[in-house]
Amino acid sequence: MLEHLRVLDLTDERGLLCGRLLADLGADVVQVEPAAGSTARQAPPVADGAAASSMYWETFAAGKRGAAFDLDDPEALARLRRLAGVADIVVTSWPRERLEALGLDPESLRGDRPELVYTVVSAFGWDGPKAGYADTDLVVWAAGGPLAPHRDGDLPPLRISVPQAYLHAAADAAAGTLIAVLARGATGRGQVVDVTAQEAVGVATLARVLATAVGDDHPEWQTTPGRRTGGRTDQSGSGAATPNSLKKWHCRDGMVELHLSMGPAAGAFTNNLFAWMRDEGAVDEPVASWDWRVVPDRLVAGELSHDDLDVARAAVRAFLLTKTKAEVLDAAIRRRLLCMAIFDMADIAGSPHLAERSFWGQVDIGSVDVRIPGRMAQVLGPEGPRVRGRAPLLGEHTDVVLKEWLR
Amino acid sequence: MTTDALSGLKVLDLSWVVAGPLIGRTLADFGATVVRVESSVRVETARLMQPFHGGVQDKEGSALFGNCNAGKLGLTLDLKSEQGQEVVRDLVAWADVVVESFSPGQLRKWGLDYETLSADKPDLVMLSTSIAGQRGPWSTLAGFGNVGSSLSGFQHLVGYEDRLPMGTFGPYTDYVGPRLALVTLLAALENRRRTGEGAYIDVSQVEAGVFFLSPQVAQFGYDGTIAERHGNRDPRFAPHGVFACLPVDGKERFVAVAVRSHQEWRALARAMGRPDLADRADLATDEGRRAAQDELEAAVADWTAGRDATDVERTLQSVGVPAHLAVTSDDYPDDDQLAHRHHLVELPHPRHGTTWVEGPRSALSETPGRPRSAAPTLGQHNEEVLTEILGYDAERVAVLTEGGILR
Repeated sequence: MLEHLRVLDLTDERGLLCGRLLADLGADVVQVEPAAGSTARQAPPVADGAAASSMYWETFAAGKRGAAFDLDDPEALARLRRLAGVADIVVTSWPRERLEALGLDPESLRGDRPELVYTVVSAFGWDGPKAGYADTDLVVWAAGGPLAPHRDGDLPPLRISVPQAYLHAAADAAAGTLIAVLARGATGRGQVVDVTAQEAVGVATLARVLATAVGDDHPEWQTTPGRRTGGRTDQSGSGAATPNSLKKWHCRDGMVELHLSMGPAAGAFTNNLFAWMRDEGAVDEPVASWDWRVVPDRLVAGELSHDDLDVARAAVRAFLLTKTKAEVLDAAIRRRLLCMAIFDMADIAGSPHLAERSFWGQVDIGSVDVRIPGRMAQVLGPEGPRVRGRAPLLGEHTDVVLKEWLR
Repeated sequence: MTTDALSGLKVLDLSWVVAGPLIGRTLADFGATVVRVESSVRVETARLMQPFHGGVQDKEGSALFGNCNAGKLGLTLDLKSEQGQEVVRDLVAWADVVVESFSPGQLRKWGLDYETLSADKPDLVMLSTSIAGQRGPWSTLAGFGNVGSSLSGFQHLVGYEDRLPMGTFGPYTDYVGPRLALVTLLAALENRRRTGEGAYIDVSQVEAGVFFLSPQVAQFGYDGTIAERHGNRDPRFAPHGVFACLPVDGKERFVAVAVRSHQEWRALARAMGRPDLADRADLATDEGRRAAQDELEAAVADWTAGRDATDVERTLQSVGVPAHLAVTSDDYPDDDQLAHRHHLVELPHPRHGTTWVEGPRSALSETPGRPRSAAPTLGQHNEEVLTEILGYDAERVAVLTEGGILR
């Protein structure tokens, strides 16, 4: 869909995914690296072995072509600037000072090329009081809001154990870039697209970042339905306001994620769960026949107590210990339950569903043929996104890109 | 003169909760006309989710719903009725883009699936978003994003090593799915602009989530390593953690601190008044600091415990060490950098006087986006949509009203 677009990709690990998405959609994306190689080639996880290799690089630079330039060499730099002079899109996550020193900043490149779309991905922004802040995934996760509500009891907040913040920003940058491309289709003019990871991750708080602004001083509410101090119950279905210990259950071969949803919108799913348990004689009346759609009302009215809920939970706990992950998944589909096996990488790799949907792409990593996620979405009509090939070797396509782009 | 980037684009939004509505929210920010259809009888889940204006649970008070739907026109419609479906057909005839998140198969039952709709309208771009996609053995799986985050591997990857997996805060794939959906949708629009061809896009939240774990998936494929949770620790950097600071107004405060190099370590140790640690030979390398990470993190925790989190952030950033306060909703409106970028946006609201939403996540220099209005109240634009957009006469509107279709 984007075969007509040339993208000069000046990113490191902060922006690497942006170009990958554009390449998957058909654009000709040239990943530029300094002569010593991109810092993203060291981004974890780095697999051991003879071909020690960053899986972050191998996956998020996949499908791009690669060009390397000695940025201290004025002639090489001039060649790189000439590539920028024929690109539709430049995307970068290199530091501002470095870009300005190299004459590759938005002002330098857009000065006589107003049609250029220039996208900047950064932790905090091109300018502003924190633009110069030192950053990492953890620091951005803290600054944007989602770190604070990731609490396990009284322990300090937690990040996701693998970097995520810049992926959100880089995906937003790809969208922002395409909005600018669409605008260019109408006006002929490009522009600067400035995307920050701090802003990108705010959405990962389910609007908790807005709580104080709208006057909700207790957005987590009660966490134990029916408790006198609370009075409100989590009726979301997602269990977003329910504490972790009430959503994790052991099963025969692993763990299950299950929130006992209640209230008019999502209570029916819990009714389905108890119908399954009833069918197998795993729960007694009257709990077996509660209508979870009205449980919050009954708690408020005093007809049910916190202790009653504990009886229901104990029945669920005992029941799930007799089931495997596969049985829970199967029941979730057949009986419409909001519960799910907690998958790890082996479970994902073995998923028959993902295989049947042709989700996987194949790339060569250090001479090993490896399956990686290959389709961000599936498209009917034009050719949809797919991974186009392995990540480039350092400087692999420098000459051919110079020849093709500058002819 | 600037026009809006997506000026003239017409969007029918049949989605609900978070993952679907966020797509239309961005399109509306950049100038598209978005008609959001919902039901006042079966109230959509996001309207029942905190945070709420003034902390009061009310279907017109959710800041989450407000954030996902700002700038849209709202129409309430009984989609189960034939007359309601007729209105949808007229809206499809008007629209360039349809976004929906019904259970896979539901629209087909109503004759509103892509195959049927595109027969008369080959340039229609339609996007369906669901937990596991429109086809495949898991396609009938019910659920919210927390089910997606279990099946895509995230539940397993948050938490301390020696405790239960904690999972992500909220339905994590609800934050990932719409980003990849939007990128694909925009590419389809660029393709449509150039060729006149429509497209059908099938987005699976599970697949979007797995896509954001591409490096971990590749590592499993490469050498069988299963990614595990590691609290806040990092495979390379140490110290790397989140530390308690002085409480403010009785509320806990935390700061994230990460050290990426020997230079940063020396700067941190000196800032902590620990020249002994700064000069210790065994701490001069990444490996050395990782080997001593328990000791180093204890030293940082001792130092931060008696300090204000914002002071720690400023002190460390002034010497180039990545650090940031773990921002809560109390801090969010006061963050210097977010304020500089006008990220929080105040909008007039018919019930609350004003409301607050997050700004667009891409700052475009020539065609900047902005939320045009607060999210619609239930049925707020029924009259406007039916008469001005669809050209219905007063008699037809009256028939729909009296027939109970507009609710």
